[in-house]
Amino acid sequence: MFYDVGEKRVGKVLKTARRYLTWIQNSVLEGDLSPATFEALKIDVRKILDLQYDSVLFYAWRTERYMSREVVGVERGCTDFMV
Amino acid sequence: MGKTLYLLSSGSLKRKDNTLFVERVGEKPRFLPVETTDEIMVMGELDLNKSLLEFLTQKQIILHFFNYHGYYAGTYYPREHMNSGAVILAQAAHYTDEARRHKLASTLIVGAIENMRKVVAYYQRRASLDVEDILSDLERFEAMAPQSGSVPALMGIEGNARNRYYQFFDRLVQDEAFKMVERTRRPPSNRMNALISFLNSMCYILALSQIYRTHLDPRIGFLHETNFRRFSLNLDLAEIFKPILVDRLIFSLVNRREIQEKHFEKETGGGIYLNDRGREIVLRAWETRVNETIEHPRLKRNVSYRGLMRMEAYKIQKHILDDTPYDPFVSRW
Repeated sequence: MFYDVGEKRVGKVLKTARRYLTWIQNSVLEGDLSPATFEALKIDVRKILDLQYDSVLFYAWRTERYMSREVVGVERGCTDFMV
Repeated sequence: MGKTLYLLSSGSLKRKDNTLFVERVGEKPRFLPVETTDEIMVMGELDLNKSLLEFLTQKQIILHFFNYHGYYAGTYYPREHMNSGAVILAQAAHYTDEARRHKLASTLIVGAIENMRKVVAYYQRRASLDVEDILSDLERFEAMAPQSGSVPALMGIEGNARNRYYQFFDRLVQDEAFKMVERTRRPPSNRMNALISFLNSMCYILALSQIYRTHLDPRIGFLHETNFRRFSLNLDLAEIFKPILVDRLIFSLVNRREIQEKHFEKETGGGIYLNDRGREIVLRAWETRVNETIEHPRLKRNVSYRGLMRMEAYKIQKHILDDTPYDPFVSRW
């Protein structure tokens, strides 16, 4: 999920998204969601947005098999389930 | 199905911004997504407060604690959210009816022994081991189970079968460092025993977490005596899966040398336990294993072993409600 929203709403969007996904870097979160939780996230986010001004993008993969992810520089957040 | 979170290092866990928040010394604090979490395993030292527990109850997240040695210490089992008087009554009635209890208990044992045989036969094919004697004994025990007179007698058969089955471990594992010789608990006397004990408790916990998501009451077991101590239905359920999940995983960890002598430590009091590094390797392998999927023969779709455990609990629920007789899961290879 990538978001670009008005300054007044960034905090709210971040807090909501963090309940579902893991923070990766500013305005970017990752995670894997079931179809239902994905819908729930979209509903929660939509409540905050000013739909005339803000935009939020979701990139979804049906399986992780065809996805690759490369980091250049510092890895700021990770989705590891062991902490 | 949600995720399992492992807290290996020490720190504090709290509710913050309506989600989970971990803080550890010397490391950056991290938020964890609450909506995708089903259970939390706490291995390190953890500070928490009541508002976190309230939050976990609300989100139906179950919390398991382990002591310093990795032994299971207890569970924060949030208020039942799947209430059903009908199921509790049926479960209790099933327990008190000696004949029906014996029938279900013996089915569980037959399933467990059958899965042991599958494991032995698999390695007989793969490593061409001489294990005919063990296989035929297991078959004998399996046939004895339904004819035994009482549940304690069944437990005896189960114990004998398992002892015989454990002899297969030393034939398969060539590494001297991982010889078991005999099964010892509390404390485990060698590395193999330590691995078995640790992973068995992970299996019991997996079963408990899945039972929490059904209408069943984990305190009323059928094979394992229901008593004043704690949960027992999860022990019944785990019995079926221990050979496939725990034992197979141990063989692959040891044979591929992913787990080695250096991952164990001797403690005062004589026990041998996994050290922090070893525990992390085993837990990562365990988590990968239970999330592995297989194609379900009847549903024709992929189901993870964790999901399979839940379905096994549903099957027991259906059995005690006199809906469909329980037929234990048996691995096909």
